[in-house]
Amino acid sequence: MDTIIGNLALGFNTAMSLQNLGLCFIGCLVGTLIGVLPGVGPIATIAMLLPITFGIDPTGALIMLAGIYYGAQYGGSTTAILVNIPGEATSVVTTLDGHQMAKQGRAGVALGVAAIGSFFAGTVATIVIAALGLPLTKLALLFGPAEYFSLMVMGLVCAIVLARGSIVKAIAMIVFGLLLSTVGTDLETGEDRMTMGIAELSDGVDFAVLAMGIFGFAEIIRNLENVETRDVVRNKIGRLLPAWQDIKDSAMPVLRGTGIGAILGILPGNGAVLGPFASYTIEKKIAKDPSRFGKGAIEGVAGPEAANNAGAQTAFIPLLTLGIPPNAVMALMVGAMTIHGIIPGPQVMTKNPELFWGMVASMWIGNLMLLIINLPLVGIWVRLLKVPYRLLFPAILIFCCIGIYSINNSVSDVLGTAFFGLIGFTLIKFGFEPAPMLLGFVLGKLMEEKLRQALIISRGSFETFIDRPISLGLLVVAVILLVLALLPSIQKGRDEVFTE
Amino acid sequence: MLQKLFRNPQDAAAGLFLVSVAAFFLWQSSSLDLGTLRSMGPGMLPRSLALIVLGLGCLIMFNASVTVGPALESWQLRGPVFVIGSILIFALLIRSAGLLVAGPLTMIVGAYASDEFRLKETLIFSVLMTAFCILLFKVMLKLPIPVIAFM
Amino acid sequence: MFKSLLTGLVATVLSVGCSFAQSYPTKPIVMIVPFAAGGPTDVVARIVTEHMSRSLGQQIVIENVAGAGGTTGSTRVATASNDGYTIMMGHMGTHGAAPALYPNLKYDPSKDFEPVGLAAGTPIIIVSSAKIPASDLKSFIAYLKANATKVNQAHAGVGSVSHSTGILFNSMIDLKPTQVPYKGTGPALNDLVSGQVDYMTDQIVNVVEQIKGGAVRGLAIATPERSPALPDLPTTKEAGLPDYQVSAWNAIFAPKGTSKDIVDKLNSALTTALADDNTKKRLLELGAVLPSAKEGTPAWLGDFVKIEVARWSPVLKAAGATAN
Repeated sequence: MDTIIGNLALGFNTAMSLQNLGLCFIGCLVGTLIGVLPGVGPIATIAMLLPITFGIDPTGALIMLAGIYYGAQYGGSTTAILVNIPGEATSVVTTLDGHQMAKQGRAGVALGVAAIGSFFAGTVATIVIAALGLPLTKLALLFGPAEYFSLMVMGLVCAIVLARGSIVKAIAMIVFGLLLSTVGTDLETGEDRMTMGIAELSDGVDFAVLAMGIFGFAEIIRNLENVETRDVVRNKIGRLLPAWQDIKDSAMPVLRGTGIGAILGILPGNGAVLGPFASYTIEKKIAKDPSRFGKGAIEGVAGPEAANNAGAQTAFIPLLTLGIPPNAVMALMVGAMTIHGIIPGPQVMTKNPELFWGMVASMWIGNLMLLIINLPLVGIWVRLLKVPYRLLFPAILIFCCIGIYSINNSVSDVLGTAFFGLIGFTLIKFGFEPAPMLLGFVLGKLMEEKLRQALIISRGSFETFIDRPISLGLLVVAVILLVLALLPSIQKGRDEVFTE
Repeated sequence: MLQKLFRNPQDAAAGLFLVSVAAFFLWQSSSLDLGTLRSMGPGMLPRSLALIVLGLGCLIMFNASVTVGPALESWQLRGPVFVIGSILIFALLIRSAGLLVAGPLTMIVGAYASDEFRLKETLIFSVLMTAFCILLFKVMLKLPIPVIAFM
Repeated sequence: MFKSLLTGLVATVLSVGCSFAQSYPTKPIVMIVPFAAGGPTDVVARIVTEHMSRSLGQQIVIENVAGAGGTTGSTRVATASNDGYTIMMGHMGTHGAAPALYPNLKYDPSKDFEPVGLAAGTPIIIVSSAKIPASDLKSFIAYLKANATKVNQAHAGVGSVSHSTGILFNSMIDLKPTQVPYKGTGPALNDLVSGQVDYMTDQIVNVVEQIKGGAVRGLAIATPERSPALPDLPTTKEAGLPDYQVSAWNAIFAPKGTSKDIVDKLNSALTTALADDNTKKRLLELGAVLPSAKEGTPAWLGDFVKIEVARWSPVLKAAGATAN
């Protein structure tokens, strides 16, 4: 323990220099503001702001970039709650109950709980990184494609549990999402699949485009139709910050979410994405009254948000210990570090300890700053929501358009959101839920890749999924979850359709 | 028509939608190599998934003919047409005319989707909002968004 | 008011007309990097353009247009206006291997671009999982041959550097191992470290730290001389496979028809950047190799592209590695 305290002391010393504190603050602030832009998530934000960091020394630059990263994560959750548009795959789950809470006038509570829960999760995650970074990396190395595939299967089952209405329709949506994820270049041969000759599709459908259309624009169209429900609900002002009862209700979900997120975040290859799903599933299953979920249950925000943030931080572990980025955002960080002359790898911890520990310390400071920045912002956001909808939604429209355009400077991305907006609206009219589709989409890309890799390595043997112990364990959990999910429906019969 | 054939028109439409989507994907992927289950080709997963969607779509349609359910809601066209239309306008104008033109136009057209539309108020608001966006994104954040066509 | 409007109009027209005669550049230049931000080509581009912006007096803005092994971005530049304000950082894949890999390629690397200059090359290293009981290249190749049906080679996807160079390596040792595709270097490297796959050939910048830290084993570097970043790593010549010489070169290109003046200006800014101590230091830290004076000219690059295209075509076609 001595060395950990010693290292943390070194880290805090580095992180608390006036310059680094300032950079952390600017990073968090700018990251939050851009992240709040609908559709723009952490990757786009960091890519946009990377040039700003060039004039700064490596440690400072990284602290600022890390601040931008969490800020953008948090901004993405803000839009998920306020306007039902997830900034990243990890915020999709937050829209389910978070936006419902906003509609009930409890936006402030939702945002507040998300902020506080995230801070707690961030603190725990920082300690985890400091104390357990290296051993956890070894754990992560046990995961090969077969294990990942089984993990994704588990994730799919979670997606079924997440559904509010008819199970059949939910499964249909998940599979539809999986199907959409296959559009693009084939992994093995590089062939274009179902791209209809459109060059922009050769890398697949963009998550931001899909999320923006299906969630954001469809929601706007829906709100325009249901004037009565929209206005009555929005005029309820409600509290700005969580009440003590809200905090008590959120405490256990936050704890559980932190644990789940922290562990899943370590897995390279975007394991962090599953954190919020798994947390939501567990909260829904444990809750005394699961029917509250999907209608504004605070546990549905607290748990996933904690998981989200914990995962975002532990995702740094493979980067800092092995130098291998676990997802696209971290790959950007690698590039940023490389530009600044630091090539991440196993020796960074020993050769540049101030960098490593300074970053770890600034993660915690960043979380604190985010809390400080975001809690007052809650008041501003809630007040913004009171702007008459006929003016608010054109503003949301233009922000969304600018946001989507600026990710790739691409007009076709904007056209794509229009298309998916139409699809999203159609889906709602037919009684489908968009959330499982988006989850299927996110999981689909990972699943197919891992499935095929596992089969290639095992030379076509399906037993590989059962032979390997971790993979087998995960599949067993998935089966149990599936049974638990389907049991109530089987008992009630198949003829219920819950209206939203 | 759906009302007469199916007892649950909403689900019937839902099922039909799924079937058409599945059919589309099956058509698009017809040239892809399936490979074998053990050595999957590019076409294996898309086509299997499309078949599952097809199956589920048929299942839902079948259910819709035997159980009672909600009728298809009426589709107000004003909302979708103008919202989607405004996005299309943005897409068309952003490179050719820049944010200065695309901004207000997008907002005005979009605002028309609401039946609470008030022209003068929207005009003023959209101009102000565009100015704010330019200030925020172009000036403060230095994003490469075209403001005027050749800038 | 009308008069001032007219004056303004005339002034604008005159200045636009004059800008052709004025020194280039008069506004920021866009450099398209056809890969995701943070990758090796992107890093090289950013390091180099930072200095170039200073000597040109105008900012070079990097735009990442990733996709299809870099060909999406390259196509964009091939069809862009040749006024000198859109250029790109291409590499061994986009301007060397692409014609062989993509039969429907919408550009010709030699004909649709004006070469500006070679920027930096990142040498290729043959890396293996640390679990393989072979500590040098010769015994490694023997191991591969003995276990030909069981070994797995990782690569970062069709069109990636690790893919093309991997195929080249296999053809040289006459092996057709099972290839496991990944979406990017990160996941591929991860499975190499954990031992799920056995070997890979990739750019030095991606693997240098992992080799130093012992997470993976470097077997040889495919350049004539050892790299200062990894002085203990033998060259392929020393290790017994002298014909395997390949580096993922990065170079700046402009659309066809860009005027010679502009190309020369860009080239001289590039050369100045590469001579700058700070830029040099950052590139060398990556393990990059800088071009010699002879190699730094547009003409040399033009010839080099033709040689590369000719070199990759038979190797990749023989391996059947074409995408659709």
